[in-house]
Parts: sequence; structure tokens; C-alpha cells
Amino acid sequence: MAQYQTLHIPQALYGKEFQLTLKDSFRQLRPGNQTITSGVNGDFWGPTLFINKGDTVRMDVLNKLNDSTTLHWHGFHLPAVMDGGPHQVIPPNTRWKPYWKITNQAATYWYHPHLHEMTQEHMTKGLGGLIIVRDSVEAALALPRTYGTDDIPLVLSSRRYDASNQFVFTNTAYGDYLLTNGTPNAQYTFPRQMVRLRILNAETERGFILGFSDNRTFYVIGNDGGLLEAPVSLTRLPVFVGERYEILVDLSGLSEGSTLDLKAYNSGQTLGFPGGEPGTDGQFGSLLNNKDFSVLHIIIGAQTAKPILSLPASLVKQNYLSAADATNSRALSITAGQPANNPFRFDNKLFDINYINHTVLKNTTEKWSVTNNNVFGHCFHIHDVQFKIVSRSSGPIGAYESGWKDAFFINRNETVSFVARFSDQADPQHPFMYHCHFGNHEDEGMMGQFVVSEPTQGNGPSTAASKFQIYPNPVGDRLYLNRSEAPDGVYYISIISASGKTVMMLPRPELHQGIDVSHLAPGVYYLHITSENKKQSTVSFIRR
Amino acid sequence: MSTLFSTLLLSLFMQVDSPPAGGVLFRDFSLKQAGGGYYTSAAHKDLKGMVLVFTCNHCPFARLYTQRLNNLARTCDSAGVQLLAINAMDTLVYEDETLEAMTLRAKTEGWKFPYLQDADQSVAAMMGAVCTPQVFILWKEQKHWVMRYSGAIDSNGQEPELAEAYAAEALKDLLAGTMVRTPSTQAFGCRIYYRKQQP
Repeated sequence: MAQYQTLHIPQALYGKEFQLTLKDSFRQLRPGNQTITSGVNGDFWGPTLFINKGDTVRMDVLNKLNDSTTLHWHGFHLPAVMDGGPHQVIPPNTRWKPYWKITNQAATYWYHPHLHEMTQEHMTKGLGGLIIVRDSVEAALALPRTYGTDDIPLVLSSRRYDASNQFVFTNTAYGDYLLTNGTPNAQYTFPRQMVRLRILNAETERGFILGFSDNRTFYVIGNDGGLLEAPVSLTRLPVFVGERYEILVDLSGLSEGSTLDLKAYNSGQTLGFPGGEPGTDGQFGSLLNNKDFSVLHIIIGAQTAKPILSLPASLVKQNYLSAADATNSRALSITAGQPANNPFRFDNKLFDINYINHTVLKNTTEKWSVTNNNVFGHCFHIHDVQFKIVSRSSGPIGAYESGWKDAFFINRNETVSFVARFSDQADPQHPFMYHCHFGNHEDEGMMGQFVVSEPTQGNGPSTAASKFQIYPNPVGDRLYLNRSEAPDGVYYISIISASGKTVMMLPRPELHQGIDVSHLAPGVYYLHITSENKKQSTVSFIRR
Repeated sequence: MSTLFSTLLLSLFMQVDSPPAGGVLFRDFSLKQAGGGYYTSAAHKDLKGMVLVFTCNHCPFARLYTQRLNNLARTCDSAGVQLLAINAMDTLVYEDETLEAMTLRAKTEGWKFPYLQDADQSVAAMMGAVCTPQVFILWKEQKHWVMRYSGAIDSNGQEPELAEAYAAEALKDLLAGTMVRTPSTQAFGCRIYYRKQQP
């Protein structure tokens, strides 16, 4: 019988400014040697960031890995240049400082690496973390929200180990051993009351058909990008890669000390379900495939002082988009995949970082239809927006997935349509991504990119190269830019050491307070500036 | 995958009983040494063997091994074998891998063996080192250096008392004049990023 381990609850960080250091480490995950891992501010996975809608958050991301990577803010509506897709490559020992105003609703989001061809490896090693957005609407509801007590994050993924206990991340779609928040054979004590679970599927490919071992009814209250209008009751919930679901489960009827399991009921799924393949090894086999297994062993504990004991009848009034709101439509097809060694892609084109697949006009509402007449299921994810699924050719849309979403499962022989509004964030220089969220599929090129453009935006006549001055020089802790000489605005600043290494990456830097260079070692540096009109210039300075 | 590839490559070398023609495998090197001076391999003609340990300052897994390397160095010293720790991390990228930082660490931790800086990564490239920590034991056979062990230091980073001491056992076999029972194992830890791969 499994030796249970207490579920790890990731550290909670609150505020508007977050320092996230990505580093290589190791962890004892199995008997014998430790496993080489990566973590954010720790040895595996990362802290949960609590942020408030309306705040401007500033991220100070320092890559101390022995590898380049990126960090993507999954689910957020934000400027493309802050989004952390494959374009914002952070070299080792470089600092990347994106910031944006949180316009997303209260829900559970996450951050994870997104470096092309390396996403599966970096995610398998453990990079990532949750972001919980709070807002006044959610705060007014009688919902459990004591993190780690009655509001529990559950990040589900699995790992395959080689003979030396090291993670396998090539030629494998599935792990053999489940990790719940990085904990093998996890168990946790839940109070005897209404408990909220924030579930993220952070797998490479596997889906989970979740339910409780006593088949009790539970309630979906939130999707990827917001709360539902009312709880949706069910006994089984499919959660596919990249998706988040918030659920409530009423444990008040159970006695203290009793136990139950949250389980994945993954046996007997039809062809196309990721993790339903019958083999136990090889690229598409796994010890967990086509099986029912526990994802969390639950022990019932005492009620807390102020327990939530009832289910809200309604949640949040949402102004959902409908198909009728769309003024433009796009159709995408999932192609290739067969024979083997012919990677899946969209519309017969593998990801090309120099090719913009779609241009979307700012402030338009569009309907995108994704068709999968292919051999296997996929998880579609699009950056920048939260959308509403408006049709599934396979049948009615599940009530549990009727809210704001940024990812969905598309089975074989299915077309899924969604409607999204592309507001605010126009940037002709920097694309957003859409892709299959299976780590192996996106690494192989099942991605496309789109830019959101102003209706009048184009490659108009460019102004003369901006001149700018920096002061003081030599500089102490803070460097200032004379902005009057960069009239079209500063799009990007890179600071490069005398030896040619990029040490700071500053998308659309906020220059009124100067640039904090206090962590730079004394020496000569170059400040490379790109203006909003793509003009580039460089000036050197000395850090005292 | 690169780890696997280099392991395969090395095992090809290891199957060659006669030394590789033209000294393809091994070229003498001269590297800066923490604390001052250079270590020049050609100046140590009488060595029976060399234990090259690729390590670095910032890798948490590599940092577990100081005491075990001191123990291994003691065995080496009494047997005419030289243990050399080699840092091949790119100092342009990793500021904590400078010679000054190496010197400080070796002194603070009481290292009993030279800590060398492979500034141009040429020794690491010659050996096919891919990560820290990673060990290569070279043995002098008919005046040529032949690879007799490559891989991990042992089988448990954090719990030495539970570990199979691969490198120490290989050294024991070599000193006893017998075949190395486990000539290669998988090395893992922090990737050595070769400079030309830098973005």
C-alpha cells in the first residue's frame, strides 16, 4: 500500500511586485538518488501569487537556470511583449521585468515556461506556479478562501523516471507516477465543511476524469477565466491539459477521521482520450494509462472556526459573448500527425517564429472554429483572451465548461467554436500564440501566432532614429533616460554587458522612476533601445 | 539526449583496448588554478591516473559532493593518481563561477585537490562533459591516457551512506589492476552550457 506524503501547499506570495528566481535544484521524489529538478524560488514548482484585479503587477524574473527559458502568464489579458511566449527568451542569469494591469476576473491562472522546443523539458523539471486573482465580486460571495485550509490548490501532473531516478522528457507523452503539487502519493486533511479545490492540469498530455471515491456530487464554480453564473453539480469532471476548474465539495456530512479519495477515473475511455492508450511503456504507454487512480487521499478533520457550510445558489452575473457577437470568423484545422514522425500542426504549417499566421483587428469580436479530423485529441489554448465556447460538433457544451475559458479539449472528429473579443492590446511588433497545450505537440511545432493590430496601423513612414541621453553616467543604482528625445515611446530596453551578454530585458520600461541597475556589477554596459516605431539605438554607460 | 549521446560516444572509446591513434582522445592542458598559478598536465608525467571531476559553484547537486571528493582525493594522493576538479561554466554567464569565487569556495570548504578553470571549455569539450558533477577517470596505459570510467560520482547525492560509490570503486579496481566492473554510469546535475550555444 502506498506510503502517503502530506500534500505540499505552494508558498503564498501577496502584493503587486514579485521576485521570481528560476533555478536548477534537486528533490527526493523516490527512494534512492535525488531527481534533478527546477523550481521558482524553490526546488520544484513555484509560489502561488495572489493578485488583485485592477492592480498593476510588476514581475522581476531572474533566470538562474543553466538554460534559456521563458515565463508565460497563462490566461492573462496583457500586452504581447509582456506575455512571456517563445519570443521573450530569457538567457541564463538575465533579468526580465514585465508588468501589466490586471483586468482578468477572479479565477485561478498560472505561469509556466514557453520556450519553443523546450517546453516539455522545462515543465517536466518543475517550472511553473499558480496565480490566484481576487476581485470584489468574488470577495462578496460566501466562498471558502483560506488558502491551504479550505481553499486548496491541486496541480496535477505525472512523471516518468529513468533507472537513475531522473525525469524522462523525450519520446514520452505520459509519466508513470502522479505528482500532486509535486508530492507523490499525496494526502491532506480537509475540514468537515465546504472545501474549494483549484485544480490545474499541468500534464504533458494526460487528461483526468476526476471524481470522488464515494461518487459524491460536487460543484464546479469556476472555469479558466472566471466564476460561473451558478454552481454546476456533477460527479465526474474532465480536466484537460492547461485547464483550471474551481470546485466546491461538501464534506460536512462525513465524520472526523474518515477518508475518501479524489480519483482519476481514466479507465475505459474512447480512442482520442489522452492517457487512455492501453500500453504501459514506450512513447504513448504509461503505468497510469487506462486506469483509475487516486490523485489525493483525503482525511476528514475538524471544522474551522468560521466554516462555509452551504453552497451559493448563484455566483457571478457574466456578460458572455455569443456567436452572434462575432463580426469575423476564422477556421483552423489540425493537420498531419500521421504517419509517425510527422508532427501535428495547424493548417499544414509548423510554427515559424518569423511568420504571422493571423492578424486580428483590435476591438473586434471573432469566432474561431477549430476542426480536428485527425487521429487523436488535443488541447487548444490561445493567449491574450478569455473566450466562450459556443459550439461543439460532438454534442452540447458541458455546463461545467460554460464559463470564460482559455483552453479546451478537442476530441478527434470534432469541431469546437469559441468567441473572443480582442480588445486593448494592439502591438504590430509582437505576436500572441495559439497552440496545442500538449508539451510535446507544441515543442514539435503545433503552434501559430497572431498579432492584434490597430485598424489604421501599418508600416507607415518611420521617423528618424531616436536619439536619447542617459544620466547620470557613471551611474549608481538608478539610470534615467531623457525621454523627450524618444518621442515615439520606448518599446524595449535591453542592457548588455561589455562582454556582449544581455543582463536585463525591460519591455516598455516605466522610465519615470529610472531603471534600477543596483544589482549590476561595476563595469561598462550598453543600453539598447527599441522605440515603438522599431527604431533602434545604443548608448554605453558605466556602472560605478 | 545529449547525455545519452556522449555516453554512447565514450563507451565506443572505452571498447578500444589499444590507445586511440594520434592522441585523439586526450590532449595535454594547462588551466588556471584557484588560489593562483596553473595546472599543466604535461608536467605530471609520472601519474598513474587522473580523476577529472567537472563541477561548479552554483549547482546545488554538485555542491553536495565536497566531502566525498576530499575522501577520493586522499585515496588518489596516496596512489600516484591526481584528482582535478574542473569548472567549465561560462563566466560571462555565471558570475558566481569566476576564479575569485572558485578560490574563495575551495578555501572556505577546505578542498584537498586543485580546482581548475576551463575558461575556454576546451577540456570539457575534449572529454564530452555535459553536466556537473561528472567524473572521468583516465588511466595511463602504455604511455597513453585511456578512459576507464565516466559518469556519476556515486548513486546518491544527498545520502552518501546509501550510495554506491561508482568512481571510488572504479579507482579501486584500477589500482588493483583489474577490469573496472562498472565503467560507465549516467551523470546528471546542472547542464554545462557551451558558449557557442549561448543565445
